[in-house]
Amino acid sequence: MDLELLLPLLLGLAWLVPLGSFAAIVFFGPRMGRAGRGAGYLAIGAIGASAVLSIVALIAWLLAHPLGGDHGSHHAVHAVAGDWYPLAVFGDLKITIGYYIDGLTVAMFAMVSVVALCIHVYSLGYMHEELHEVTDPLVTLSDGQPLKRRGRFHRFFQYLSLFSFSMLGLVIAGNVAMVFVFWELVGICSYLLIGFYIERKSASNAANKAFIVNRVGDFGMIVGMMALWSGLGTFSFDEIFARVRPAANGHALVVPDGMVRAAASERIAAIYRTTPTGPGGAFPGLQNAAEARIAALLPGWRAEGLGYGLLLVAGLGIFCGCVGKSAQFPLHVWLPDAMEGPTPVSALIHAATMVAAGVYLVGRFYPVFTPEALLVIAIVGCVTLLIAATIALTATDIKRVLAYSTVSQLGYMMLALGVGGWVAGLFHLFTHAFFKALLFLGSGSVIHATGTNEMPRMGGLLKKMPWTAGTMLVGCLAISGAGIPLVIGLSGYYSKDGILAQLYSFAGRNPSHAWLFYAAAAGAALTAFYMFRLWFMTFLGLPRDEHVHAHAHESPRVMVVPLVILAVFAVVAGWNVPGTALGLQPLLEQARPLGTAEGASHGHFLPTLAMPAEHLSHAHEIHVPVTLIAFTVGLAGFLLASAMYWWRLLDADLIGRTFWPLYEFLRNKWWFDELYQFLFVRPVLRCAALAAAIDRAVIDGAAHALAAAVRLFSRFDDWIDRLFVDGAVNATANVTYEVGLRLREVQTGQLRQYVLWVAAGTVGLFVLAMFLWTYTLAG
Amino acid sequence: MNPLAEPVHLTHYLVVGAVLFVCGVTCMAAKRNAIGVLMGIELVLNGANLNFVAFGSPYLQSTSPASIGLDGQLMALFVIVLAAAEAAMALAIALCFYNAHATIDVDQADELKR
Amino acid sequence: MGVNFHSVFFHLMAVLASGFALAVVFSNNIVRMAFYLVASLGAVAGLFFLAGADFVAALQLMIYVGGTLVLLIFGVMLTARGPFADLKTSPAQWTVVGLVGGSLLAVLLYAASSASRWTASGKAASAPPDQVAPTSAPLGLALLGARVDKLDPKQNSASSRAGGMSGYLLPFEIVSVHLVVVLIGAAYLARARRRATPRPIAANSPPDDPSQSSSVS
Repeated sequence: MDLELLLPLLLGLAWLVPLGSFAAIVFFGPRMGRAGRGAGYLAIGAIGASAVLSIVALIAWLLAHPLGGDHGSHHAVHAVAGDWYPLAVFGDLKITIGYYIDGLTVAMFAMVSVVALCIHVYSLGYMHEELHEVTDPLVTLSDGQPLKRRGRFHRFFQYLSLFSFSMLGLVIAGNVAMVFVFWELVGICSYLLIGFYIERKSASNAANKAFIVNRVGDFGMIVGMMALWSGLGTFSFDEIFARVRPAANGHALVVPDGMVRAAASERIAAIYRTTPTGPGGAFPGLQNAAEARIAALLPGWRAEGLGYGLLLVAGLGIFCGCVGKSAQFPLHVWLPDAMEGPTPVSALIHAATMVAAGVYLVGRFYPVFTPEALLVIAIVGCVTLLIAATIALTATDIKRVLAYSTVSQLGYMMLALGVGGWVAGLFHLFTHAFFKALLFLGSGSVIHATGTNEMPRMGGLLKKMPWTAGTMLVGCLAISGAGIPLVIGLSGYYSKDGILAQLYSFAGRNPSHAWLFYAAAAGAALTAFYMFRLWFMTFLGLPRDEHVHAHAHESPRVMVVPLVILAVFAVVAGWNVPGTALGLQPLLEQARPLGTAEGASHGHFLPTLAMPAEHLSHAHEIHVPVTLIAFTVGLAGFLLASAMYWWRLLDADLIGRTFWPLYEFLRNKWWFDELYQFLFVRPVLRCAALAAAIDRAVIDGAAHALAAAVRLFSRFDDWIDRLFVDGAVNATANVTYEVGLRLREVQTGQLRQYVLWVAAGTVGLFVLAMFLWTYTLAG
Repeated sequence: MNPLAEPVHLTHYLVVGAVLFVCGVTCMAAKRNAIGVLMGIELVLNGANLNFVAFGSPYLQSTSPASIGLDGQLMALFVIVLAAAEAAMALAIALCFYNAHATIDVDQADELKR
Repeated sequence: MGVNFHSVFFHLMAVLASGFALAVVFSNNIVRMAFYLVASLGAVAGLFFLAGADFVAALQLMIYVGGTLVLLIFGVMLTARGPFADLKTSPAQWTVVGLVGGSLLAVLLYAASSASRWTASGKAASAPPDQVAPTSAPLGLALLGARVDKLDPKQNSASSRAGGMSGYLLPFEIVSVHLVVVLIGAAYLARARRRATPRPIAANSPPDDPSQSSSVS
């Protein structure tokens, strides 16, 4: 079957199966199996089916487009794009449910579904306590007792299924509008899952925070979408890329006609005013003549830079959404609080997939970004990287450390994409998904066993939880980029190397922005440090809390097996299948968008900025030094962590006390939450209070006054009614009665009086007759 | 002598009839005795009879269109008969009343007052 | 200067009738009233004779005077006991009655005096003949339906007001039946009843609000 039909079919099915699972669990969840257990199996079945379909699609893709061995191939591999269902047509604008499938899509599908499958299986064990009544020690009722509630096992899998559907929909989306819809959908799923323990105030606050902060980013995204539509007249990826990087131009970035015209609207109006009308009638004639002139002038305007700003705005707007979704500075504050959700949620959504959606969108939208936009992306990523890494140094909650680590790694990905390393950044996305999910699930295993999140209460768990410890060690090594330099390494080694190499190449070309490279290298050192700090504090040393240590036990198989699977991926994701060119990196190379292989340069506002072509970073003179530098910094971080937490050569507390301002600053997360509270939350609350006061005083007051006026009027009306209307009626009745009473007295019963009346009446009649008419005799 | 020598007109009869009538009405209105009232009724009827006969008299305006000839006397005839019947009835009622209430005073018969 | 005996007798009868009628009015004694009435009605019969209605006059004497008034006198005799013989009316009531009666008399006199106006173009009354034409036969025939006094076709035409060969048969029959009914009714009403003592009517209560019901004996 031809690829154009097969891929949409496979991936479309893979996308929709979790939706079916969601619908089924919504309606029948509590009745599935004993206490809803069947819901878990159904969800696993659905995501498993998605995984199988995604892998089949991947195989089909690889068969159809074999991967070249060299990663500098310029095969023009066209994406499979199309529409499934048109939803609405507004003039030129078509809103459809469509797909855009290329190598990146297929790889993302496979990664998301496989990771989600591992996490679904893991959740079957982790959420075990939701199968019966739950006592939540963190929620205290008003009478002092902890909350007792029914278990919500099926609901968890319902949300997981919905999330799977949303994430896959986002990946397969063929137009920006559909991306936005699924963007919001994953946001909703995140909200629902973070706030899974709805009775906890901290959880519901965290859910609100996540959604609202995302919304701030979405505002920018909508601005970008508006710029895109006004300039390009379409949302479909296919058409956007065709217009922004036309094939005729060698797929180089070109400001599209629509944006140039939008920027030159005054000049166009002047032309319309001054052009004499040509043949063909009044307006069509004018239009033809004017359009001909405009078409001739258009290239000149483009060279002047008209419309460039609009293109820049479009790119930055879309990036704003990614800032919110991927928790970049300054919208990073929601991700650490999102750890209130159950650990599988943190693994799936806030490590592997949803936060990666921002990076994915940057990767997908790459052809539209101008060099200036790319630089902004890089700087934002770098800043985020540093901030998050420094905060992770002092965090004590095991999930917080991993959360900040996630933010930091996302910063890495953005940085890589910003300096032109498309493959490097997205490769890091994939590897990060594996090892971060692994780390989160491992930490979940620890939390499940010890009942606490706090690392100062752990310690010495290595013997009690060997499998967990082992797999988490693999994860830590992967994230630190461990490996034998220039020979072989874990997945993180390759991805981090790629990023640093591209940065080095970029720094070489743009010495003014060399600090990006140094910052990234420092970040690598910090990463290694805090990850091994985490591992040492949790698993090595003497137990710091006897009670916790006594309770600890290895997790059941249903939780350990996914850990192992993810550990395997974390190790091999960077390797090609031995003997072939099949591998993740070559696949991404092949999926690179047309026209971006040669890097970016000649931005209108920053003409000297140049993002080097990525294949240059593989050159020896860049690759070797970078590898060595990466290895060194990673080793430095590891050694420092070992010195402080393993060999106990340095006292962590002493260092903390010595540098106590810095320590406090980092421990309080750079006081971002307090800053935002002061700058944004409190003014909004004040406005709300003001609005409420106006509502009560003015609007309610007006309503009450109106009601009082009506009441007053109704009293007056009542008075009138009683006085006049009732009075009239009563008076009439009384008069009638009185008259009747008086008339009654005529009947005296006296016969003689009756006779008199008769006689008098007769006389009267007679008199009347005599006066009123004359009697004449006829004839 | 002169008033007595003139022939009698219709008017004279009518005057007498009027006097009788008014006397009858006065009796009816003024007498407290029920039999007195009946007498008044008789007087009224006789006054009317006199009118009828006067108009039907052949001597008074016999050829005028106002004359009613024999009809007048026939009317008077009927009136007499009806008067007799009515007198009988009225007397019966009066005797009933007298037997029931031991009085013949019509002023006492005011139970139909308001 | 001839004396019109007709008018002399007329005036005599008229005075008698009026005078006795007035006496009826002003008398207080019921028995005397009865006698005065008899005399008045007798005078009226005389007036009938003078007007040429001999049959009617005879009937008046027979039926009215001889029958009806006798009946009345019986009634008088049955009820005129003790206090009931003289029932006086108060002067106040006499005033009112006098007023009403006077006004009625004025009206009637006015009408009577205007008779000459509306009996226009009429010849003066002819002198009464020496012989009176008997009227009983024409009356009797008229009662049976044959109007022998109006045989003139001109007079008989339906258009003339006094015309029409219509007799009085129907009224005759009706009156006959009427008399039978009255006979029966009067006999029934005046039948003897068993009663221990006749109860007098309760004393007249002063006029007051209608909520107080009057008692019925």
